[in-house]
Amino acid sequence: MKLFRNSTIGFVLLMGVLVFLFLLDLLSGSVHISLYQSISTLFHSSSSDPQIAAILFQFRIPKAITAVLAGAALSVAGLQMQTIFRNPVAGPDILGISSGASLGVALFVLSAGWVYGGTPLFSLAGSWSIVLAAWFGAGLMMFLVVILASRLRDLMTVLILGILISGAIMAIVSVMQYFSSESTLKSFIVWTMGSLGSTTRDQLWVLVPSVAAGLLIALVSAKFLDAFLLGENYAKSMGMNIRLAYLLTFASTSILAGSITAFCGPIGFVGIIVPHLARKLFHSPLHSKLIPATMLMGAIVMVVGDLISQLPGYATTLPINSVTSLLGIPVVVWIIFQHKKIGAI
Amino acid sequence: MQADFYIQCKGISIGYKDRSTTSVVVKKDISLHANRGEMVALIGGNGIGKSTLLKTIAGFMPPLAGELLVRNRPLSGFPAVELAQEMSFVSTDIVRVANLTVRELVGLGRFPYTNWFGQLTDNDQMIIDRAILLTGLTGFENRPINRISDGERQRAMIARALAQDTRVMVLDEPTAFLDISNKYEIVRILHQLVLEQDKCIIFSTHDLNTSLTMADRIWLMLEDRVVEGIPEEMASSGYFEALFPNNQHLSFDLEKDDFRIKKEIYGKVNLVASGEKLIMAKKALERLGFEVFPNLPVTQSLSPSVSPSSIPSVPPSLYLEIIQQPEGWNIVCQGITQYVTTLEELCRSIKNISTQQGS
Repeated sequence: MKLFRNSTIGFVLLMGVLVFLFLLDLLSGSVHISLYQSISTLFHSSSSDPQIAAILFQFRIPKAITAVLAGAALSVAGLQMQTIFRNPVAGPDILGISSGASLGVALFVLSAGWVYGGTPLFSLAGSWSIVLAAWFGAGLMMFLVVILASRLRDLMTVLILGILISGAIMAIVSVMQYFSSESTLKSFIVWTMGSLGSTTRDQLWVLVPSVAAGLLIALVSAKFLDAFLLGENYAKSMGMNIRLAYLLTFASTSILAGSITAFCGPIGFVGIIVPHLARKLFHSPLHSKLIPATMLMGAIVMVVGDLISQLPGYATTLPINSVTSLLGIPVVVWIIFQHKKIGAI
Repeated sequence: MQADFYIQCKGISIGYKDRSTTSVVVKKDISLHANRGEMVALIGGNGIGKSTLLKTIAGFMPPLAGELLVRNRPLSGFPAVELAQEMSFVSTDIVRVANLTVRELVGLGRFPYTNWFGQLTDNDQMIIDRAILLTGLTGFENRPINRISDGERQRAMIARALAQDTRVMVLDEPTAFLDISNKYEIVRILHQLVLEQDKCIIFSTHDLNTSLTMADRIWLMLEDRVVEGIPEEMASSGYFEALFPNNQHLSFDLEKDDFRIKKEIYGKVNLVASGEKLIMAKKALERLGFEVFPNLPVTQSLSPSVSPSSIPSVPPSLYLEIIQQPEGWNIVCQGITQYVTTLEELCRSIKNISTQQGS
């Protein structure tokens, strides 16, 4: 499949698809809002129905923006991990980076109960603290995985390693829950049920700059990632500063996966599958092309996931993680079968 | 004339560092050098440390002792990018990145010269074109590297190193896993680069014959030491016999520039023949384990122990006379003459005779 021989056309097309899906996402939900109503509300907010304005500005727009950010962030994190580990099934969820972020949040939320006697979970300062905790947890896990997984080229071994790491983290979190008070436990459970829709407008002031920073770091390290394609030795022989390269991807993946996990909870499989879709569509492994492509594809996939999760006709929404898992797992199985023959990304 | 040293190893030890304290020394006291415009073949048995030496020279691992100079400057003093502009490396790893085209791969070689975003300038494109041309990959530019043959991929890896535009190129077994035609093609390309671009190319190989005929200098890694010299001196020095000290079945053939398998001698043959038939029959008989003495006077000997006095008597003393006929061969063994028509039949009869003699 060589869909986009000319990548500029590809980018424009994807951008168009994304705008279309974004608008569709604004229109869908339990309360019916017509295209005309939403456009008039968006552009003349004073003259429109305050109820519709509230639904759009307080809920649907933040949720759609969160979906775009989450898709782009998780996918780009996955892409970078696949490249530096040279493993097609690497991703923030599989390798436990998202679990690491959860551990960071759990540590913060559950220990905040002891320190402050309550949780400052829903203030702006609280948002930043949670994000920082998630970055820290994700970064720590990334460090561990780099040490372990960079020595394992084998696909299956990495998968097993990821399962083990995630299992260990779940165990730690369970132990912490056991020892925490009722009120802190409740706020932690509420957090774990997080979804795209749980991000408030205020929290976007934390999420947007965080994801933007992560994506920017990824974009400026495109050249390093290209060199990583040939393996660490070749990268070194071409004069790459290995430490700087690791540090950049490290920071980028931790920030991206950490921020999304902090606000939306764990969202699986997007990080693994989207880079493969981008490679297929753009037919290139070079990151100057692949990173923007993955960003756009990731955003599209996540908005589609959000649309599906709203179950047209029903008032409830499905958990986004279930939707991405159900859509993603067959694709991951396909990737594994493909790469049994080919060997690497 | 002062040689233009590109690489100098002054008593270096190579090996791995385990953590910070213990180190595993693979080989020590290595003193070697490679000059501008030289093709250097590194030869040694499996596991003797060829890769480790090349990786040390390429700067992946520091020498554990001694001094390693690149163009008269200590290797450790080179900033990463500057070293990458002096020396390129081709490893044994097979790179199988899906969708990466030959041209994109070669373009990655421009890494030390491009800006932060890796943008290729017109000059870069020109250098890439040239590298593709020199490695005979014209027409393959847009083929993905996981969909080309091993030989083509190896040439693409060399093209990538070439695009790096370095004075020194280090290649770890560039001809491994390739068929003969591809092997020669790779060595020919390297040779041409040395001649035309005055590069210094160091490569490890197991192919003695090509290195002795094509390389300007041989680095030979033996069990107890590492020696260097021009191929002719190395071949006659007896060092190659020391290459495989534990294998009595190998002997080095100075004329053929290669090792031969020593065979057990079953007997001797007086081969009376001429022309092409003589050459073919001689080869066949040698393959079957006979020492061949062409065109001695025919004695028609009656006993296996009686052979002409001009043949040195070495046991076992099976002695045959094979005489070329207009259409076939006569085999005379212990007074009995057997007639065969083809060389294949001759071989079969000889085998029968030596099996009978053996039992």
